[in-house]
Amino acid sequence: MPATQEITLFVPGLLRPYCGGRSEIVLTVTDLRDLLAQVEAQHPALYVNLCDETGRVRQHLNLFVNSDNVRDREGLETAVATGDVITILPAVSGG
Amino acid sequence: MADRVVLAIGTKKGLFVAESNKARKRFTLRGPFGPGIPVYSAHIDARSTPRMYFSSCNPFFGMKVMRSTDLGKSFKETKSAPAFPKEDGRALANIWSIESGSGKKDLWCGVEPASLFRSSDAGDTWDMVSSISNHAHARQWHPGNGGLCMHTILTDGDRVHLGISTGGHYMSEDGGATFQASNKGVGAGFAPDPYPEFGQCVHKMARHDDAPGRIYMQNHGGWADWDGPGGPRPGIGVLRSDDYGRSWRSIAAGLPSDFGFPIVVHPQDPDTVYVMPLAPMTRTCPDEAPAVWRSENGGDSWKRLAKGMPRKASFFTVQRDGMDIDRTKSPALYFGTTTGQLWIGREGGEEWDCLFDSLPPIHCVKVAVV
Repeated sequence: MPATQEITLFVPGLLRPYCGGRSEIVLTVTDLRDLLAQVEAQHPALYVNLCDETGRVRQHLNLFVNSDNVRDREGLETAVATGDVITILPAVSGG
Repeated sequence: MADRVVLAIGTKKGLFVAESNKARKRFTLRGPFGPGIPVYSAHIDARSTPRMYFSSCNPFFGMKVMRSTDLGKSFKETKSAPAFPKEDGRALANIWSIESGSGKKDLWCGVEPASLFRSSDAGDTWDMVSSISNHAHARQWHPGNGGLCMHTILTDGDRVHLGISTGGHYMSEDGGATFQASNKGVGAGFAPDPYPEFGQCVHKMARHDDAPGRIYMQNHGGWADWDGPGGPRPGIGVLRSDDYGRSWRSIAAGLPSDFGFPIVVHPQDPDTVYVMPLAPMTRTCPDEAPAVWRSENGGDSWKRLAKGMPRKASFFTVQRDGMDIDRTKSPALYFGTTTGQLWIGREGGEEWDCLFDSLPPIHCVKVAVV
């Protein structure tokens, strides 16, 4: 059984209406996939903003573990450690 | 008593609402609602207590449906937006059409990838309509430049007509329980077979409520000079059906181009129809001079309407839902351009004025008298 870690999910202002106005959510998870599963269970309105119907993280969203974009690490399999901050950020865009 | 004319203007940067009295001399503007997020569809349900809806097509956080019960002074997100079942494998990419159903809170919604959803609670919950969304043809439809979108929903009792780009025209005669492709006479320009069973790039369809058997279609034209397999396809862009969409014939003769996006029917006369021809290569108005064209005999002949519009150096593009007509005694047309201008054509398009000239790029314009 993978070890669980207590992490903090930072929620940007635009998404706070979907989780009771909270800017941070503390969760005990094994990895990012588990984090998303817990968000889906505990904050379903927030979850649909993060993932599409197939469960994929939306194309123009980035998840960071501390300062690392998980796309540059192991995606949703990226390991997390107690004390990590997971940040949701929209991708850079213009126009 | 209905005494206000209300416009819902969907733009690249959110929804604007314009309002006037029935004289329509001056409109006030409010918005943007859903600021910064593209709006591809809007709907004003003027039955009983008016409700306004628009789709907020958020590229970051997904699709939302927004609803107003105070004539577009404020909007709230509905409890959910259309979504495919998890096991389906498709993900919602855009919302292209919202239309009223028969009940006061019934809505239909056409989305990308081309599928149909229904709501019976004013958009709070949605069910996918499997008969068309999982139609045997559905996995053979292909996206056009605008995506694989279900953009037109016309209902008439148990009849439901759908326009899909690129899928063609589909119709149901049992309230949506089953759908059949119905494209006899609808040409396609981008396939060797000029008249396939399905797969046409329908741009928009329209009809008059009191003449449901007569349906007009703006199809993807511009193929008169094609010299490859299947030969040239002149006039396939503007079509008419007189048998509830079972067969179609060209009514493009007399237009400067059979390419275009919107098509609009006069609210008091099913024989009067409006199009905005565009040059097929640039998708802007022919000869640098914008004009709406009107037929008063079901498309047998056409008249150019451009009084008040620029006469040169103007390259308007008007998208498929970018033109509408109000239901006053002397109806006015409205169109919005991708360069952010909103025009009004009073007296059925005889006299044109630019109401707003610096909006964001306009995707859709809907009008209601409330």
